[in-house]
Amino acid sequence: MDIFISIPFLIFLPMAASFLLMSPLFTNNEISIRRFAKSLCGFHLIYTIILFAFFNAANPYTCKLSFFGQDWIESLGIQFAFKIDGISMLLVLLTSFIFFIASMASKMNIRKSHKFYYSMLLLLMSAVLGIFTANDMFVFFLFWELELIPAYFLIGGDFGHEYKEESKKSAVKFVLFTFLGSMIMLLGILLLHYFNYNSANILSSVFENIITTNIPTSIKYLISICFLIGFGVKLPIIPLHTWLPDAHTNAPTPVSMILAGILLKTGAYGIYRFNYQILGDIFSNFAGILAVLALINIIYTAFVAYTQKDIKRIVAYSSISNMGLVLLGLCAFNQIGLSASVFHMIAHSFVTAGLFMICGIVYLRCKTRDINSLGGIAIYMPRLFGFASLIVLASVGIPLFAPFIGEILTIISAMFSDMGTVLKLTAIFSLPLLIISSCYMLKFLHEGFMGQVQEKFSKINDITVHEFVILASITTGLIFLGIFPFVVLNMVG
Amino acid sequence: MINDFFNIMLPQICLGLFIVLQLLLSIFLSPRFEKYARIISASGIALSAVLLTSVQAEPQYFGLKNAVMSDYYTVLFHFIILICGFFIVLLMKNLTLKSKQNSYTLHALLLTAIFGAFNIVSANDFLTLFISIELLSFPTYFLIASTRNYYSKEACFKYLITNAISTGVFLFGVSYLYGITSSVNFSEITEFMSENEPSLLYAFSGIMIILGLISKLSIFPFANWVIDVYKGTETSILAFLSTIPKLAMFAIVCRLLVFPLSYSFELAFVLAIISIITAFWANTYAIRENNVKVIFACSSAANASYMLLVAALVSVYNLSTVIFYLVCYVIMNLTVFCFLNITEYNNIGFNINDFKNIFHKNHGFAVCYALTIIALAGFPITSGFAAKIYLFSAVANSGLIFLPFLLALLLLTVIALFYYLKIIMPLFEKNNSEGIKLKAFYSQKFVLFITAAITLIIGICPEKLIELCRFIAYNI
Repeated sequence: MDIFISIPFLIFLPMAASFLLMSPLFTNNEISIRRFAKSLCGFHLIYTIILFAFFNAANPYTCKLSFFGQDWIESLGIQFAFKIDGISMLLVLLTSFIFFIASMASKMNIRKSHKFYYSMLLLLMSAVLGIFTANDMFVFFLFWELELIPAYFLIGGDFGHEYKEESKKSAVKFVLFTFLGSMIMLLGILLLHYFNYNSANILSSVFENIITTNIPTSIKYLISICFLIGFGVKLPIIPLHTWLPDAHTNAPTPVSMILAGILLKTGAYGIYRFNYQILGDIFSNFAGILAVLALINIIYTAFVAYTQKDIKRIVAYSSISNMGLVLLGLCAFNQIGLSASVFHMIAHSFVTAGLFMICGIVYLRCKTRDINSLGGIAIYMPRLFGFASLIVLASVGIPLFAPFIGEILTIISAMFSDMGTVLKLTAIFSLPLLIISSCYMLKFLHEGFMGQVQEKFSKINDITVHEFVILASITTGLIFLGIFPFVVLNMVG
Repeated sequence: MINDFFNIMLPQICLGLFIVLQLLLSIFLSPRFEKYARIISASGIALSAVLLTSVQAEPQYFGLKNAVMSDYYTVLFHFIILICGFFIVLLMKNLTLKSKQNSYTLHALLLTAIFGAFNIVSANDFLTLFISIELLSFPTYFLIASTRNYYSKEACFKYLITNAISTGVFLFGVSYLYGITSSVNFSEITEFMSENEPSLLYAFSGIMIILGLISKLSIFPFANWVIDVYKGTETSILAFLSTIPKLAMFAIVCRLLVFPLSYSFELAFVLAIISIITAFWANTYAIRENNVKVIFACSSAANASYMLLVAALVSVYNLSTVIFYLVCYVIMNLTVFCFLNITEYNNIGFNINDFKNIFHKNHGFAVCYALTIIALAGFPITSGFAAKIYLFSAVANSGLIFLPFLLALLLLTVIALFYYLKIIMPLFEKNNSEGIKLKAFYSQKFVLFITAAITLIIGICPEKLIELCRFIAYNI
């Protein structure tokens, strides 16, 4: 029985299901494949919720679920080690939830190669869960690389959505960028491993066994920069962001939801684990520069988002902007900042998943994503319009919704940070984000849904029950977290 | 003398007898029985592998007046060479059907090449080494030319010219080394050098020797042959060309770098630099290529250069990583060329676009092939991931001077990923046609699935093989 309440079960259940789906034993019937994947994600969600309910945030290490360790490659000191603390628990729950709604959303968007699609989706889920729970550098890196294979096929594959040749190119771009980042990250990991062995004489790559006190400072700077580049590609930090809009725009809707909702968070999580925790003693020296980069992320991409014509691209750029806010919270390097950044990660996940879902629904009905040719569909799709306005208002940062708390807490944490005046200035300069983001998001709502009623859209239907459930669960989550933020904040503290 | 034969030479003798047997059968047996040539070769190799257990490895054994030696290191390499040889023999059916040649001769040639590789690994002086290299090279020329079309003749000629030049360079270095140490025996040279200061001439002769040897690994000064040769060669012979000469050459290069040539720092730097140049050349050349064979030629050159870089920074740890990487890499290559052998049998071309929609009707084959390419690119749950981490950790452990080299390697791996992706993607792409169902012999299927399974198993639990490699490296 022990195996069923352990971290490997949590991680490898989707992987096992993925291999089962891929094998010739499984039927080719579309409906049974979809139901199998959906019910597995549902089961996983329930399982994670139960875990979450029994999780003791104040003292996470008393729970026997929190640890798993098994020697993997002894000669390098690599352990197949996993650990769940408060932040991991939250992100695991988030992953489980987003994958569940993405597997539900796949029904409308995926028209062929079901077997391949769902097996890749489940493999991606395993890889992301592994990233969030790994307790060993090399195991972290293993899952980080493993995630690329399914992500590549999901972005670039032809699943009967509006497939174009560009999807393949953007998939290659995504993989090359991330792989470049992960190779530089591998350099950091190898150096850290080597110097840890040299200075502390521990042949181990488990996070707790890495003692950086005796490592020369210049080496620590080098390692930090390696990690920042590696995670900065995924986050993304501004000069490394160009893969994101293409990948997010060309992927099928559920994959966009996962990419923006989960995969970007792995970058922030990596910065938290490596730069913030392990190399924390020199993180303060980077905080100023990172905060400036975060500010550029926030403001620049918000302006870019305003000029976009494709509604999916607007959402994609708004993701980069919001991830800048997450980075700013980490840079504040204090307890509020950490809580704020985790909270905003979760809030933004919900928002961006909802927005991509709306874009997908609009495209399915109207066959266009160009904001100029859309317009006036609110009258034909009143229920979708209701949800869209709720989610857009949430993303703008209206009180009662989760992103409001994330934004406010982040800016407060930057104001009260000990990292010098740079952080305070960044906090002040990032305030206009609230205005600019309302500009582009309201443009999204206004030009996309309202305006001149067009005759050509008179045949379209409102959302189905299926889509209603997805959007309703996202909106409920947003409001719930907006009213009870302490569910999340207590876990981080 | 007789004792030596019984102590360490039994596998070689077995191989030699089977070569003679094949040659005799080629003269006396009617062509009707040609299909049994494969079985005879395979049983010869299997018997030789069984006899390998009788070889004395502990303590080290020097036989035939110190000309050959045997320890765990040679036994391991002999064993891997035999396994590869066994798989290659299984793949040769396609070639013997097509080439309308006496298949006994072809198999005799292959066994002779394996015999040469065997002796390279166990050589303990430069003369034995030279003869063994020629013994490996000569059958290879004929094997490359066995398809008898224009490209294969061109390939054969290019390989011949490159090898002739590199052998000349090798002998040049050996003659200088003989001038310095007045010996051609590895042990005596090592002894002499441990007592005397290494001179510049010594470093020069060392560089010449290694440059001569690594032409078969397609490292920079003699690298260009690899493209034309791979383009013109039949796939089962490619499976041979990309595994057995590599294994033999790495075995001897590592031994030379650890013992007789270990007293020169210049050599390590020269090798590190030429391996980086090769890696850069091979990876960038492959970006614009559309021929799968050429892409794998570049990939083989690139992988050889990674290994050579690590082998050049001599240490016991590095040696174990090189052996591990080599074993994983050889197995992956067998899978790749086995798949290409199957497609060649089905008259599918070698352009990447010819592979479109293979996945649709051949799930098993395509998954094995894609898995192996993912392994070559170094992604997890395959042996490629463990091998990459282990190999690169060796460079990181060699000191901060080599940090730029490590960074260059890591960046070049990203370029490599680009062309690997270019190979994978068409497999899963739909085109207008229905897609064909590939036909394959049982032997081809056997090799494909077994090697792919080994790649996966090593990827999941690499610890046993790493332990073995460390044991071998400590006992060299």
